[in-house]
Amino acid sequence: MLLELSGIQKRFGGVTALRDGNLAVDAGEVHLLLGENGAGKSTLMKIVAGIEQRDAGRMTWRGVEAAFGSPAEAAAAGIAMVHQESLLAPHLSVAENIFLGREERLPFGWVRRRRMIESAARLIAEHHFPLRADWRVDRLSPAGKQLVEICRAIQHGSSLLIFDEPTSSLSGAETDEVFRIVRTLRARGMGVIYITHRLEELRAVGDRVTILRDGATVHTGPLAEITTDAIIRHMVGREMVAGYRRQALPPGRELLRVEGLSRTGALRGIGFCLRAGEIVGLAGLIGAGRTETCRAIFGVDPIDGGRLFVDGRQTRIRSPREAVAAGIALVTEDRQKTGLALPLPIAYNITIANLPEISRFGLLNAIAQIRVTAEYMTRLRIRAASGRQPAGRLSGGNQQKVVIAKWLFRRARVFLFDEPTRGIDVGAKVEVFELMDELARSGAALLMVSSEMQELLQVADRILVMRQGCISGELPGDTTQEAIMRLAAMEREVAP
Amino acid sequence: MIERLLPFLSLIVLFVALAVASPHFLTQTNLSSVVRQTAVINIMSLGMTVIIIAGGIDLSVGAILAMSGVLGTMAMEHGLSVPAGIVIGVLTGLLWGAANGMLTTRLRIAPFIVTLGTLGIIRGLTLIITNGLPVHRVPQAFSFLGEGNLLGVPFVLWVLVVCALWTHVVLEHTRLGRYAFAIGSNPDAAVYAGVPVGFDTTAIYALGGMLTGLAGMIEASRLMTGQPSAGNGYELQAIAAVVIGGGSLHGGEGSVVGTLIGAFIMGLLSNGSDLLGISPYLQQAIIGAVIILAVTVDELRKRKSRVGA
Repeated sequence: MLLELSGIQKRFGGVTALRDGNLAVDAGEVHLLLGENGAGKSTLMKIVAGIEQRDAGRMTWRGVEAAFGSPAEAAAAGIAMVHQESLLAPHLSVAENIFLGREERLPFGWVRRRRMIESAARLIAEHHFPLRADWRVDRLSPAGKQLVEICRAIQHGSSLLIFDEPTSSLSGAETDEVFRIVRTLRARGMGVIYITHRLEELRAVGDRVTILRDGATVHTGPLAEITTDAIIRHMVGREMVAGYRRQALPPGRELLRVEGLSRTGALRGIGFCLRAGEIVGLAGLIGAGRTETCRAIFGVDPIDGGRLFVDGRQTRIRSPREAVAAGIALVTEDRQKTGLALPLPIAYNITIANLPEISRFGLLNAIAQIRVTAEYMTRLRIRAASGRQPAGRLSGGNQQKVVIAKWLFRRARVFLFDEPTRGIDVGAKVEVFELMDELARSGAALLMVSSEMQELLQVADRILVMRQGCISGELPGDTTQEAIMRLAAMEREVAP
Repeated sequence: MIERLLPFLSLIVLFVALAVASPHFLTQTNLSSVVRQTAVINIMSLGMTVIIIAGGIDLSVGAILAMSGVLGTMAMEHGLSVPAGIVIGVLTGLLWGAANGMLTTRLRIAPFIVTLGTLGIIRGLTLIITNGLPVHRVPQAFSFLGEGNLLGVPFVLWVLVVCALWTHVVLEHTRLGRYAFAIGSNPDAAVYAGVPVGFDTTAIYALGGMLTGLAGMIEASRLMTGQPSAGNGYELQAIAAVVIGGGSLHGGEGSVVGTLIGAFIMGLLSNGSDLLGISPYLQQAIIGAVIILAVTVDELRKRKSRVGA
């Protein structure tokens, strides 16, 4: 065995993150590590990678008891981690990032930058990565950044590579590329630990699987011997509706119509309508213009042409402020950055978009704020100690609910959801779906952008597919992933 | 590319405009005095460039400059040689820089706060040491540093060139410099890559302090006194030079050449205003406007390149 963990425990203050973490990874295997958010996967991996230290338990590395005091120590032993949030220096070149912390030791701390770029270029060429050693990292896509982290690991001669949700921000084609690389690494005898939330991609890449729940390992074994349903059961500890399917409603009045929406370089002639009670999916590859469509409608990015009709009346929206006034809400892709004030209380976050309603003569009525917060927390089943708790302390699913509560309280009727389930665990996903369904039932119109086609098929009444800034087609809600893919990538040749 | 060269082009335009507007501009006396005037800010700004690239800031440089000048001249007053006095001034700066670096890295307090604090401490100590009085009795030979000529050019210009080359090499070709970019660019990434972030950050502040100490000795040499009140407000000029030259207060960006251009633009603006009889009150406003303009242009350029990528 390359790496063996048994009985690993870790506490943070009063919170137990790991009770009984067990994991064994062999050289030349891809080991999937699964579990809901908060199950302890990341903590376990941080202990392996030297970022955290265990409180109890045994870790052996190549048969020898080991403890890594820092990421550098773990890296020196041959363990590397590809982080979800890229841990690269954006202002430095690809080559410099690959060698960061591992430069040649020369007199006076001298650095041979040209030599560094040459070695990096050789490494990149050897693996056929679509990268250039002298590019600045801040110009790379999330996929490109991951490639740089993989290059780092290979360059440092790592024998165990940990991927922390590598595909959560990648498009279909990029995901395939990551899988290809993972398989090559396995073929070279490296051990790979692969953390993911996407159940549908497991089979493409894994050999064995370990499942964590509430800080303890609950299952470990070959992937071929376990069904996806059983995996989900182990993860959530209860029967879960993987087959969730929303019942469509008869659509009502048209609440939003978009005609010929264009923005140079991003969108061309986007047109569609959303009716009350409807959830419309917006599918497409990364860069097809889905997020851009939401941003244009919401007035974040200026548009070059096109008309918007809200509730049948033509409306000009030049700023998010005007969009909110028109009853449009945008639930952004990145809740933490643009959706919430993380250090501030839930009550603040729920009421911030509609303070006049709980104010008198320009003074905030604290009692009304508490009442409104309590009302929405009950209605949306937001799990928190109280409305005074900072939003940043909530789980991903509950944070998402706070964002939705904010817009509900603002009386929004058109909701644009951009990747609403990103980073939310399986159990909470269904809750978000149910919430969206309730919104639709209460007469709102919803647009849902998602990179996970399975989700769109579960939730949407009909699905618009985008490609290269245009809408390339519309499909009914009971279509297939293949049909969506075909429209999303029509001109491209399907890679073998 | 044009936009990248914009600061340099504006420096040239400013230079040509002043040459046309005032007959006194292109005289050797005037140009020498511009060089002498800007050398102090220039040398301080070099250190500030490295600090800002590493995502830090040093508000205490003005106070460090005063204490270096005072301690250096006091050493000469007590009979030490001129070079020994200069070394003492430079070491004073280096030690205070190292202190700033250690306070930010050990206490994990934002450098803005730490150096705001040390600004007060250093300035106060300097006033206590001197009783608020300038140090006057310095050897005549000391004036060479700030006022002398070598090969027909002000000696400070040679000093500046050496310091600039040295800083440039450190930034671009040594681990310390490349780590400064990494730390300012993404401190977590630097830690995870095994970069000695605490030590290097301290070294970067020490380097900045050292250059400031040298600037303090030049200032003292020009005045031929150790002034406890010297360098008041210089920290903002040094930061402005870095920022006009393309440095980003978010870290990860900046260059020696850019900073030199920034410092000279400010120097020429103030010299030009003097020559053209523009009131010193208006001068301040002009320089303020230039700072905002320069950063706006730079920001637009970056935004454009981001869309293009």
